[in-house]
Parts: sequence; C-alpha cells; structure tokens
Amino acid sequence: MMAYSQLLVTVLIIAIIYSLLAIGMNMHWGDTGLLNFAHAGFFAVGAYTSTVLTTPAATGLLGDRIVGLELPIVIGLVAATIVAALFGILIALPSLRLEGDYLAMVTLSAAEMIRLIITNEAWLTAGTQGIKDIPRPLAGAFPLSLGGFQMGYNLFYLGLTIAILIASYALFKRLSESPFGRVLHAIREDEDVPRALGKRTPVFKLKSFGLGAGIAGLAGALWAHFFFAINPTMFLPSLTFSVWAAVIIGGAGSYVGAIVGTSFIVGIRQLTRFLPNDIPLGSELPFLRLILIGAALIVVLYYRPQGLLGDKERIQAGQAMEGE
Amino acid sequence: MATFDPQFIWFGLVSGSLIALGALGLTLIFGILDFINIAYGEYMAFGAFVAFGLNTQANMPMVVAGIGGVLGAGVLAIALDKVVFEKFRNRSAIVLLVVSIGLSFILRNSIRIIWGSGTKRFDIPIEQAPTYFGISILPDQVAIIILSFGVLALTFVLLRKTDIGIAMRAASDDTDLAQIRGVNTERLVLYVWLVGGLIAGIAGVMLGIDSVLRPTMGFLTLIPIFAAVILGGIGDPVGAVVGGYAIGLLQELSVVVIPSEYKPLIGLLVLVVGLLTRPDGLFGEATR
Repeated sequence: MMAYSQLLVTVLIIAIIYSLLAIGMNMHWGDTGLLNFAHAGFFAVGAYTSTVLTTPAATGLLGDRIVGLELPIVIGLVAATIVAALFGILIALPSLRLEGDYLAMVTLSAAEMIRLIITNEAWLTAGTQGIKDIPRPLAGAFPLSLGGFQMGYNLFYLGLTIAILIASYALFKRLSESPFGRVLHAIREDEDVPRALGKRTPVFKLKSFGLGAGIAGLAGALWAHFFFAINPTMFLPSLTFSVWAAVIIGGAGSYVGAIVGTSFIVGIRQLTRFLPNDIPLGSELPFLRLILIGAALIVVLYYRPQGLLGDKERIQAGQAMEGE
Repeated sequence: MATFDPQFIWFGLVSGSLIALGALGLTLIFGILDFINIAYGEYMAFGAFVAFGLNTQANMPMVVAGIGGVLGAGVLAIALDKVVFEKFRNRSAIVLLVVSIGLSFILRNSIRIIWGSGTKRFDIPIEQAPTYFGISILPDQVAIIILSFGVLALTFVLLRKTDIGIAMRAASDDTDLAQIRGVNTERLVLYVWLVGGLIAGIAGVMLGIDSVLRPTMGFLTLIPIFAAVILGGIGDPVGAVVGGYAIGLLQELSVVVIPSEYKPLIGLLVLVVGLLTRPDGLFGEATR
C-alpha cells in the first residue's frame, strides 16, 4: 500500500509541473492567441539553467562539462524562470509580425534548435550524456518526524509544488483579468483594435511570451530538481504537443481548464502504467498512450471545440475554435 | 568546420531534391486547404515504412516496394481526409493545424507499433561510391535527383496543362471564385490530397534510400521543408521547389562556416530572415 501512495504522490507532482506548463501556454494561446510551439524548449532552458547553476562541473565519458557553479537551489529556480523568459522574448522578437501558422513554424523550429544546442554543447550541458545527481532542495531535512507522523521527501516536494502552482494560478488569473489581460484578449480577437486605441501591441505580445516562457522555465527547474537527472531526449516536441492537447481539451482561455486538461493527459499517461504488460499490445503501451492523446484531441475539437471548460468570453467572441 | 569541397554541392543537390519534393507537396495542400499539415512528415514516413515492409518483409525488389510505398502514402492521404479532415472543412486554419498535430501523434506511434521504433534500412546493396571529378557519386543519389526532377516536371505539367491542375491553381488563388465558375472543389480537394500524398510517399521512400528509416524521419524533415515553403512564398509551387534546393544547398555548404552538427540551424535562420525580409516569399506569390 505504501508503494502505491508513493507513486500517487509522484504522479501528482508530474501533473502539477505539467500544469505550470499549461498555464504558460494558456497565457500564450488562450489569452493572446499566439501559436507557441516552443514550450518544450523553454522547459528545457529552465531545467538546464537551474541544473548548471546548482551542480558542480563534472567529467564524462563523451566530454567534460566545465561549467557548474554549485549555487543554492533558490537561485537556480529564479534564474531558470528569468533565463527562460528571456529566451521566450528572444524567440518572439523576430516573429512578432507573424501571424498564426507562421509563428507556429518558427517556434517549433526554435525549440528544436534549443535541443540541438543542448545536445551538442557538452561543455555546458554534458550533451547526450545528460546530467545526474541534481540536488534536491532541503533534502537533508527529510524524512521529518512531526509528532509521530513521518513526512517523506516526496510529500514535502508535493506541498512545495502545490504552493507554487496556487501562486502561479493566482498570478496568471489576475493578470488575465487585469487591464493588461484585457489588452491581450483584444489582441487575440483583432490586433488592429487595441492598436487603434494607442496600445503598443508588440510590447504586450512580448510580455505575454516572456511570462508564459518564464513559468515554463520554472516548471523545468522543478522537474530537474525532483527527478535528479536530465538529458536532451526529455524535451522533444511531443511534450509541447501534449501540453497543447491539455490546453485545448481543458478549454483554451480558462486557467482551471488548463489544469483539468493537464490532469486528464497525465492521467492517461500515468494510469495506463498500471495495466498488466501481458494484455494484447501490452508492450506497445507507451505508443498507444500517445495515440490515445492524439485521438482525444481530435474528438474534443470535433464535438466540443471550446474544450471542457472553455472560456465564456472566447466563445462569445467567436474564437472558440468553431470556425472563422 | 571544413574547407570547401565540391562534394558539398552534390550533397546539397541530393538533400535539396528531397526538401523540394516535400515542400511542393505541403504547399500544394496548403494552397487548396489553407492550413499547414503538421502530419505531412508522417505521410512521408508512412510511405517509406510501407516500402520497407514490402521490401524486407515481403521480399519485393526495391523498385516495386518503392511504388507500393508511394501508393500507400497516396491512399493514406485520401483516407485521412475522408475520416478526419473532411469533418473539419469549415473550421479555421488553426483548428485544422491542431487536428493535424493529433494525427501526427497517431500516425507516428502507429508506425512504431507496426514496424518497431528502431532504425531500419532498405534491403539494398551498400556500394563503394565511384568518384567523378573529385566528387563521389552514388547511383542511389543520381536516381534521387533524376526522379525528383521527373516528379517536379510532371507536377508542373499537371498544374499548367491539365484541367484538374488549372482548376487547382484557380482554387488555390480564390476558392469561392473557382466554385462559382463551376469547379467542383470537393473533388479537387481529393485530387490535391492524392497528389500531395503521392509526393510525400516519393520523398519518404527516397529519404529512406538516401539514409535510414526512423519513425521520426518525416517529422525531423519538416523544419527544412517549412523553411523552403516560406522562402518560396507559402502556397507557391515554383517558389517551394526553388526554396527547397536553396535550403538543401545552403545546409550542406554551411559546414564551411559552422560546425556540421548545426546544419539544421540553417533552416531556422532562413525561416527567420525570409519572414522578416520577404514575408510573401522570393517571388511575392504567397497566397496570403
């Protein structure tokens, strides 16, 4: 029984970290209508920034990593957020004038380039060897005895990530409802209108991109510090597409929807691990899961284009993915 | 980095032929249906793997297997239109794009389940490349270039000289107007999927012959294909082909100035520079 509850905690942590990704994506797509396909790239930038800052340099079989600063983890988390936000702005800068699918192509390519750089610059990132032994925050203090109750490390990390999720949710929800958010919504509906009202829409789009990328970077850092080890194959475009599926299924424009959609996707991915391997196609489960996510995405778009918890304002504005 | 070698130009022509084909197919579909089909790379991979199955599992000669793979990709494109894309015909371009993401998930992982996720090779002899004028040239590569020239020429004859092709170009320019003038656009859509699918199959099979087969082979080729499509002006077939060769040559020649691991970076660079300076493509023929 103990093992199952441990597993549940780990699954919840994964769901929370992915929810942070979905919140960032919802700011891009749900609020601003920007087609960002670089999310896995921002996640990777965050994970690697924090890792390089908090681990010592190391030698490896395929190449030596000469950068490693052994700074406190808090600095790593903050730096991960900032550096990922800067990457977001950097990618958005040349593509601001672009619309819809052009932006999709540029961001998708950019994310692959980030992965290419991580794979090749072993002096900084250890390349394909990956980085191991990433420190966990406050790891020495656990297990902690609290009046007869043993609190394990995973439970602590779950609490930490829940706190970060609640804070991020509150922040992004508030931003979305603030005057700033209303300008983003106006850009989503028709960029000419806020421009005619004297808003500098490129600046707003850059801010939206930076904020969403920043939280993805934070999610990456939280991922790295929980799972000890990272390598470039963790940041494939299929991660971006899974987050997309989560936002669309949950309902674009709704931050609760982003979290619900993520829980659904993570649920499919994790719960199917409990199926016995000897059922037909049992060994193909990892691939069947992704097929299921793809099919769910198409079915939701067909029957419920606004998603499970679609944003009312979006639906009224005719942007609920119904058509043009 | 490497010093310049005429060999790079030859490699550039080979990969340019592959990119040009993919870009032509993607841009044709875009012209009529107005959306970027992210699953297009998977059509390529599917064609290649069907050919692989016929070649290694059914022991057919490579030529026969290749034709089978190409037909397979054509049938797949039409089937997916009937089963999926047709249901979303009146939706926005963004919805179609997201639907194609879902499809690319489904296709890529189906390929993994059917043929396994490892690297595969066609059952063709590995030969020592003969050298002409200091350039080593494989017969396979010659076949790729000749075949792609042939396909490109055929497609242009189709677009310029046949009723279907002229209707395609009309509909690509203005779908409503073409419809009013009596073009059966629904049937046209089927032809476009067929042509686009066949071209994807050819590109995929040749990509497999040129290197190896992987379930992700098509998806990874999408970036240079995107770059070629945008460079040529989205929806413009001539531009896509010119863009494809330009990207292929630039990629292979780039090793003179940057480390070869960063070859794929050229696609992104061209994409960004092209979008900033000539958003309507080289010839300003973009359909939007």
